[in-house]
Amino acid sequence: MIAIVAKLIARRLLAAIPILLVVSALLFCILRLLPVDPAAMSLPPNATIEEIETKRHEMGLDRPLPEQYLIWLDDALHGDFGRSIQFRREAGSLVAATLPVTIELAAAAMVLAGIFGVGGGLLLFHLRGTLWEPAADLVSILLLSIPEFLWGLILLFVFGVLLQVLPFTGQVAPGLPLPHITGFLLLDALLVGRFDVFLSACQHLILPAFALGLAFSPTIMRVLRSSLFDIYHEDYIQQARLRGLSEERILLKHALKNASLPTLTLAGVQFGILFSGTLLIEVIYSFPGMGNLMVDAVRNADLPLIQAIGLTYCIVVLVINTVVDSLYVVLNPKLRVR
Amino acid sequence: MVLKLPRRSFLQLALGTAATVGTSARIASAATNDAVTIGWPNDVPSWDPNQRFTPDAQPVFKAVFDQPLDQDPKLKLIPHLIKSWNLAPDGLSMAVELRDDVTFHNGDPMTTEDFRYTFLERIKSGIKLDTANSWKKVDDIVIESPTKATMKFNSPAPTAPQWMAFLGSYVVPKKYIEGQGYDNFLKNPIGTGPYKLAEYELNSRIVLERNDKYWGPKAKIARVTIQIIKDPSARVAAIQSGQVDCTLNVPVREVERFNKEGGFAAEINPITRVILLNVRADLAFADKNVRLAAHHAIDKAALSKAFYGGAAVPLSVLATPGTPGYLADFTFKYDPALAKELLAKSNFSAANPVKIGLAATNGQFPSDYDIARAIVQMWKNVGIDADLQVIEYAKYFELNRGGKLPEATLYSWDNATGDPEIFSGYQLNPKMPFSPWKDEDIGQKVLTLFGVADYDKRIAGYKDLERYAVENGATMPLLQSVLTVVRKKNLNYVKYDNGWVLPQTLQWT
Repeated sequence: MIAIVAKLIARRLLAAIPILLVVSALLFCILRLLPVDPAAMSLPPNATIEEIETKRHEMGLDRPLPEQYLIWLDDALHGDFGRSIQFRREAGSLVAATLPVTIELAAAAMVLAGIFGVGGGLLLFHLRGTLWEPAADLVSILLLSIPEFLWGLILLFVFGVLLQVLPFTGQVAPGLPLPHITGFLLLDALLVGRFDVFLSACQHLILPAFALGLAFSPTIMRVLRSSLFDIYHEDYIQQARLRGLSEERILLKHALKNASLPTLTLAGVQFGILFSGTLLIEVIYSFPGMGNLMVDAVRNADLPLIQAIGLTYCIVVLVINTVVDSLYVVLNPKLRVR
Repeated sequence: MVLKLPRRSFLQLALGTAATVGTSARIASAATNDAVTIGWPNDVPSWDPNQRFTPDAQPVFKAVFDQPLDQDPKLKLIPHLIKSWNLAPDGLSMAVELRDDVTFHNGDPMTTEDFRYTFLERIKSGIKLDTANSWKKVDDIVIESPTKATMKFNSPAPTAPQWMAFLGSYVVPKKYIEGQGYDNFLKNPIGTGPYKLAEYELNSRIVLERNDKYWGPKAKIARVTIQIIKDPSARVAAIQSGQVDCTLNVPVREVERFNKEGGFAAEINPITRVILLNVRADLAFADKNVRLAAHHAIDKAALSKAFYGGAAVPLSVLATPGTPGYLADFTFKYDPALAKELLAKSNFSAANPVKIGLAATNGQFPSDYDIARAIVQMWKNVGIDADLQVIEYAKYFELNRGGKLPEATLYSWDNATGDPEIFSGYQLNPKMPFSPWKDEDIGQKVLTLFGVADYDKRIAGYKDLERYAVENGATMPLLQSVLTVVRKKNLNYVKYDNGWVLPQTLQWT
C-alpha cells in the first residue's frame, strides 16, 4: 500500500509542475492587465509623473508581458518571488511568516467541520422517517445558508460581546509573549513550555475556528447522510442484519466506512474552499495569517505579494488533493488492486 | 471503554470549563493602570520609519522614533530634536541646532551624524525610501559640531521645516544600522522616542514599553499594546467587550450609541483631511458653467449631517479651519437655482441634462460611496446626469495617468501639517500623479508658489490660489473629514487637530 501511495504522490508531483506553470502564468497576466499602477503605488504621494515613469521602467512594467513573466519565473525558480511594494520585504518571506497561522486555523476549523459534519450527518440519518426529520432537514439547510463571515460576526457578538466569555482579537492575550519556533503557535507554546500561552492561543482560536468549521460542516453533513441512504440499500447491509448485527454496529462498522469515501472527497474539496474562507475570518478576528496579508496586498495593488499568495493557495490545494487521494487509496481496497 | 458520567456531573464540568475559559478571557482583557490596549485599524508597513508614507502609522512611529520638529495639538511647529532652526530667506539652506541630551534606546547619543545619515546619506545610498522624495532637494548637510549642522538645498525648500515634522521624517541611528545591519534594524528597531518596541507581530500586535531614559516628558503608561484590528465592526466589538481600552475609526453611528452607554467616551473629531471632488478641465467639464453648476448643486451641510452626524465641516477651499491657508471669509454657496441658471447658459436643463461621469471608491474612507450616490441625486435635480462608477483606490493613478478618469472623482486627502502646499499645492499641481486638473494657468501658479521661500508671501499666495481655483471650478472641496475615537471614560488623551492619537499622551485617571 505504501508503494501505491508513494507512486500516487510522485505522479501528483509531476502533474503539479504544469499546473503551477499555467496558474502562475494566468495569475501573472491577469494581475498585469488590471488597471492598477504598481509603480505609482510603490512611490510616495509627492512623486512626480516623471518619477513614476522612471519607476515603471525600473520595475520592467514597460516591457512586453511574456518577457515580464519569464523574468518573474526565472526569479521564482531561484526562490525570489519579488519584493512586496507595501512592506518592501521579500514576498516569499511574508508568505512564509503568515502561512502557518492560516494552516493552524484552517486545520482546527476542518477538525470541527469534520466533527460537526459527521456527527450531524449521523444524526440526520438517525432521524430519518421520524417526525423530527423535516425539522432536522430545515436546520441543516439553514446552517448551509450561513456563510463563514456571518458565522464569524454572530459568534463574535454572542460569545465575545454579549457573554464576554471568549476573546476575539489576535492570537493570544495582551501581555503574553508569542514564541517563534515553527510558526505554529500552539506547537511553539508547548515547545517552550508556556502552557499559559497555549491556553490563551486555544481560547483565541475557538471562535474563528468555529466560524469556519460551522460554515463548512452542513455540506459534509448532507453528503454523509445521502451516502448512508445509498449504502443502506446495498445487499451487504441486509446480510449484516440477517447475521444478527446490531444497528449501531452496522452503522459504525460497515456503513460509515463506505459512506466516508464520498464524504472524504468532498472534505478535500471543502478544505480548499475553507482555506480561502480564512481571508474574511482572519480580518474579522485579527488573525495575522495569509488571508489578512492578502487583504493588504489587494488594497495596495501589491502585485508581487498577490502573485506569491495566489500561488501558495494553489500549492496548498494541490497538496490537500494529494493527501485526500492518498487517504482514498488507504480506505478503498479497490483502488489498491488497480 | 465508555466513560460513564452522571448528567449532573457532566453539566457541572461543562459549566465549570466555560466559566474558567470565560474568566481567564476576562482577566486577559482587564486593564491595569500601567497598561493600555488600543484597537488600531492598520499595521505599520515596516519598522524603517523613513520607508513608507503611511498617515495611519505616524502615531505609532512617533512613539518609538522622534522627528526633528514636532507639532503642538493645534499643529503649530515646535522644537523637538531640533532646538532651533533658521531657514535662509532664499530657502536654499537651513541651519539647525540639535538637543545635546538625546540618546537612542541602546544608549548611543543622537548627534548631527545621525541627522546627516537620515536626511542625506541613506537617501543617496539608494535604499528605497519614501523620504528620498521629500528630501530630494538636499544637496548636502554640513556638520559643524555634534549639535549644529546646515542643510543645503539645490532649489528653494520653503516647506523644509514643515516636512521635518511630517511623514517619514524620523531620525534613525547611523551607528546602530551600520554596525548591526539593516535587516537587524528592521527586526529590532531603536529610536529616541518615548517608547521602546518590545514586541511586534505582523498584522497582529505591537507592544511598546516606556523608555524611562527619554529626554522629554515621560509617557504616563508603562506598557502599550496596539492590537491591529482592521475590521470596523470588530473594533466596535473589541471596545464594547473591554478587550481594548480605546479604538479609532469606528462607524459614526456607533459614536452616539457609545455616548449613551455608561463607561465610554466617544467623539467625532474633525481632522486635517479633506474630502473633495477632483475634476478634469476637459470633456463635459471643459465648460466652466457646468463645473460651477456642479459645485453649486452640492449641499455639503446635508452630506455632513447624513453621513458624519453633522461633525464634518463643509469646506469652500482646499484647507481645513485653523490651518494657515484656510479662508474663513470665503464661502462657495449651495445654490441649486444658480446651478440651474449656469447650466441654462450652456443650454442644459433638467429636461436636457449634461452627461458626466463620477468615480468613487467604496470603503476607502467612511461613507465614500454613499456620498457619491447622494451627489448624483443632487446633480440630477439641477440637470446633471452623472454616471457613477466605483473604482479601487489603487486604480486611481493608472486611470489618471491614462486620462481615463471621468469628469469628477471623489477623493480624500490627508495633510497632518496643515500647510497649504500639501493641500492645494499638491492637489492642483499638474505634475503630481493624483491631480486630474491639467491646466497650465493654475499649474503655473502652483509651481511658482513651490519656490516662494518667504512664509507670509507663500501663505498669502496659496490663499489667492485656493479662491481662484474654486471660483474657476478647478476643484470642489466638500467636507473636512472626521476621526472617530471611542475610549473608556477614565482613559484620557491629547486631541490633535490632525487626528493623531499618540500613545505617549494616554493617561488613566
